[in-house]
Amino acid sequence: MATKPKALLLKFPGTNCDAETSSALQAVGFETQVLPSALLELSSLKDIQLVVFSGGFSYGDYVMSGRFAKLSTKSKIGEELKSFVDRGGYAMGICNGFQILTQLGLLPEGSLIHNTSGRFICRWTGLKKNAASPYLNELPDNFELPMAHAEGRFVGIADAAGDYVKNGRAALLYSSDVNGSTHQIAGLQDDTGRVFGLMPHPERFTIKQHHYDPDWNGAEHGWGYYMFKSVHQAIAA
Amino acid sequence: MSKAIYRHIPISSLNEDELLALSQKMKLSLSKADMLAVQTIFRDENREPTDVELEVIAQTWSEHCKHRIFGARIEHTLDGETEIVDGLFKTYIRNVTFRIMERKPDFVLSAFVDNAGFVKLDDKLAVCLKAETHNHPSAIEPYAGANTGLGGVIRDILGAGKGSKPIASLDVFCFGPPDTKQEDIKAKDVIHPLGVMRGVVRGVRDYGNRMGIPTTSGAIQFDPTYIYNPLVFCGTMGVIPIADIAKEVKPGHILIAAGGRTGRDGLKGATFSSVSLTTASHEEDQTAVQIGNPIEEKKVADFILAAREKGLIQFVTDCGAGGFSSAAGEMLSETGGEIWLENAPLKAPDLESWQVFISESQERMVIAIEEKDLPAMQEIADIYQSEICVLGKADGTGILKVMHHGETVCRLDCSKLHEAPRRHMKGEWTTTESEDEGCFISFDDSPETGNQLLKALLADFAIVSREPIIREYDHEVQGNTVLKPLAGASGDAPQDGSVLRVDGSDQLVSLGLAILPEWGKTQPHLMGRACVDECVRQLVAMGTNPDRIAILDNFCAGNPDDHRELGALVETTKGMAITAEAYGAPFVSGKDSFYNYFKTSEGPISIPTTLLLSGFGIVEDAKHVVGASIRKAGNKLCLVGQASSGLAGSVLARVLMQGAEAGEDDALDFPNGPSFDEKETFASYHRYYELVKKGMVLSAHDISEGGLAVTLAEMGFSGKAGLKVDLMNVPTLDDTPAAEHLFGETPGRIVFEIAPENAALAEEQGFTVIGETTDDGQVTITNGDDKLIQASIAELKPIWQNGLKQYY
Repeated sequence: MATKPKALLLKFPGTNCDAETSSALQAVGFETQVLPSALLELSSLKDIQLVVFSGGFSYGDYVMSGRFAKLSTKSKIGEELKSFVDRGGYAMGICNGFQILTQLGLLPEGSLIHNTSGRFICRWTGLKKNAASPYLNELPDNFELPMAHAEGRFVGIADAAGDYVKNGRAALLYSSDVNGSTHQIAGLQDDTGRVFGLMPHPERFTIKQHHYDPDWNGAEHGWGYYMFKSVHQAIAA
Repeated sequence: MSKAIYRHIPISSLNEDELLALSQKMKLSLSKADMLAVQTIFRDENREPTDVELEVIAQTWSEHCKHRIFGARIEHTLDGETEIVDGLFKTYIRNVTFRIMERKPDFVLSAFVDNAGFVKLDDKLAVCLKAETHNHPSAIEPYAGANTGLGGVIRDILGAGKGSKPIASLDVFCFGPPDTKQEDIKAKDVIHPLGVMRGVVRGVRDYGNRMGIPTTSGAIQFDPTYIYNPLVFCGTMGVIPIADIAKEVKPGHILIAAGGRTGRDGLKGATFSSVSLTTASHEEDQTAVQIGNPIEEKKVADFILAAREKGLIQFVTDCGAGGFSSAAGEMLSETGGEIWLENAPLKAPDLESWQVFISESQERMVIAIEEKDLPAMQEIADIYQSEICVLGKADGTGILKVMHHGETVCRLDCSKLHEAPRRHMKGEWTTTESEDEGCFISFDDSPETGNQLLKALLADFAIVSREPIIREYDHEVQGNTVLKPLAGASGDAPQDGSVLRVDGSDQLVSLGLAILPEWGKTQPHLMGRACVDECVRQLVAMGTNPDRIAILDNFCAGNPDDHRELGALVETTKGMAITAEAYGAPFVSGKDSFYNYFKTSEGPISIPTTLLLSGFGIVEDAKHVVGASIRKAGNKLCLVGQASSGLAGSVLARVLMQGAEAGEDDALDFPNGPSFDEKETFASYHRYYELVKKGMVLSAHDISEGGLAVTLAEMGFSGKAGLKVDLMNVPTLDDTPAAEHLFGETPGRIVFEIAPENAALAEEQGFTVIGETTDDGQVTITNGDDKLIQASIAELKPIWQNGLKQYY
């Protein structure tokens, strides 16, 4: 592809990880646009390859995380977003964005509820790949990312979570029980693999120096860089 | 509502006592002298004031807004000798900074004139820091008090220059001990320290996390004196293009209010903060506490930063204490102008005029723009979903005129409004230093005593890991926190502060702080010096250029009318000024909070004089960042500074005295504190920085609470190596006893790790190699052949790491 692929980052009142996510996407070769949700309209997705729902607390998350952002997105571009994905578009949700994508029904059914500790948890966590995904191609089977959330415990009806682990919808698992998430699910993808959501924050680990251990030497860049690189490669291919 | 609600208050014929009674009845917190000055203002105009005017004057002249104690003329007596302090702020803060600014012309860009002071980061960008207290609201309603405490200081940064971007926050708390027995609390309705702690932490968490500002630095002090009057300090750092620092309101500019609506919440917060707490405060003053809404503030922040980038903002400030009255008062203080209260969007329709004007409802900012830019501002406000209104206009008359539905409810001459009568006060202090060296602790030839004391210190509330609280704060949002509050091989070892990248710059900023209230109880002068040293030292240890550090003073004190309490404050301020000047560390901002005492039925309980000294500095290269966690075995350990005698104020002294109270030992006495020399110390920081620039310093940790032994243990919590030190190698100022060597808190000291091949160079720079890192997983401290401490890190770490978990 001669021109850079374009990523559109939606910004709701309370979205607060848009700037660093935009920088991370630019670092791997995306052209980016941060769009306040007040300006969102049907034509916003024109010429876009990747729609990103960044982290934060959309509308404060006072009711249920991602609920209002979902309603606002659905009323403005609900059907268009679905057909964007059907046409081959990619959509990524990070943390609050994962919660929004889940609410929108673009990811396998389930909910992200309060961590079992009832607390906000800011720490780094080990992760393991559980299935192939265009967002994970450039990553090793086991890697680390920072996480920071109060509502990251994935729960599904009956043993939906178990099914997702088996059928690969649960593309990413925590390597230990950090928040009570069923089967340690950290990230999900849809049937096509083009829609992907995860609780941890890849945009916070794009350079070596982001790591808490100054001696970390796992790769040339931080693991988050390779996640964005993966989806860039998938789109550019 | 279609009309103004206000009334005239007859004061011209009242006598002194009647004036004071009126002040108390209206809760104006104005003294007799103040009320007489008010009476004169209105007699000169041959009229009676409105309630709006009295409320505006009360807010403007309140201790909270005007800092009249730091401006007072104080007759101060130290050990029987009396001197006149012609204003603490002017003498020991502002003038120190002005002299440093002359010496270092290209560093401080502004100080004391804006919401926060600015220092230069590089040719394009500046950084600023502001810290505030929210003590009384947090005592009454911990969650909301702390929530709005952080929200308020973030707005200070949004209102610094033409709108700075908040990039990191700090929080510092002083609470009663978590294990306080309920029956030991001597006043009704006082919230147990655990309730205060949990509420306050969650309040900070919910504001900071939702705003997307990393909370990267902090501290907690626990002491019984804080049970009745906890302290909550919140600070925020910001960044702005240098060209956007200068701001000015000119006649013709219109004033816009943006953000939240105005309601009855937060009435009289400024005056409420300027009196002591009582049980009645818990019942009557609830309206003084505001409700926070961080998403409202996030929207207004996005709006202001976008408007500033478009060059539309001429002046901006926050609605803090005093609400519109202080924001508009500040903005119109030179030009004068008109305010139209009917334009302000309200939460409830029936507010009286004075309530609209002084309400401290949260999340509001006032912005001056050129009238032609109003449509462009409205467009950006709509995009970020922030409500705006035209609140007034600057007109060049020098008169503040407040209109409400066409009626003039307030008309004050700006020059008179800002001239509060000066206070005359008295302070006294008696030093307690003694020839007697105090209690001597003997260490047998086995490490048993040393190990036991080390474990007791690691388990003490002063030292235990703050991890359960740190993890509730998002300290990595914005993706720039490179030195995090917890690091090391497993990301859970303590650090000296934090270092952040700044978008758009190759240089980084560091954030550090010191608070030593235990020292203030007996040695306020030394506390002032030691706080400046510790803060600067942390910043230097992390890789900051020692010549590019700026500091902030936040004082909390009890009853300023008590001569001894004011005397302790004067001594602290004097000590602080000496070290700041010697280190060339300018004060760029600061704040003070008085009346931190509680009137119980058994008499008043005051907090000790407490100084939070926070600071920030420039780390010139990402390669200079130094963490406090040991990197590997086989390296050498070096020391900056030297040990000295004196345990007063130390955690060891406190732990031993607590033991004695429980009847385990005879009375213990620690009359003297440690010694250090600023000139020598600062020169050693420069020499240390030379090694930092060469990339030789692998890890470094300051020696502070708990002394050398605790420092070594904490460095070992990285999980990468053990540490072994021989005290025979440690330089001393005097004939320092073993207890002071191990647990003394002499300022000026940093332990650092260096590769063996670089040890000779460190020695050339004047540093002593005091030991090495080992692969035995132990902390070992010997004195020649005597083993004073030998303990396994695997055993020590859980003691330190789990100490607070059961309480939070």
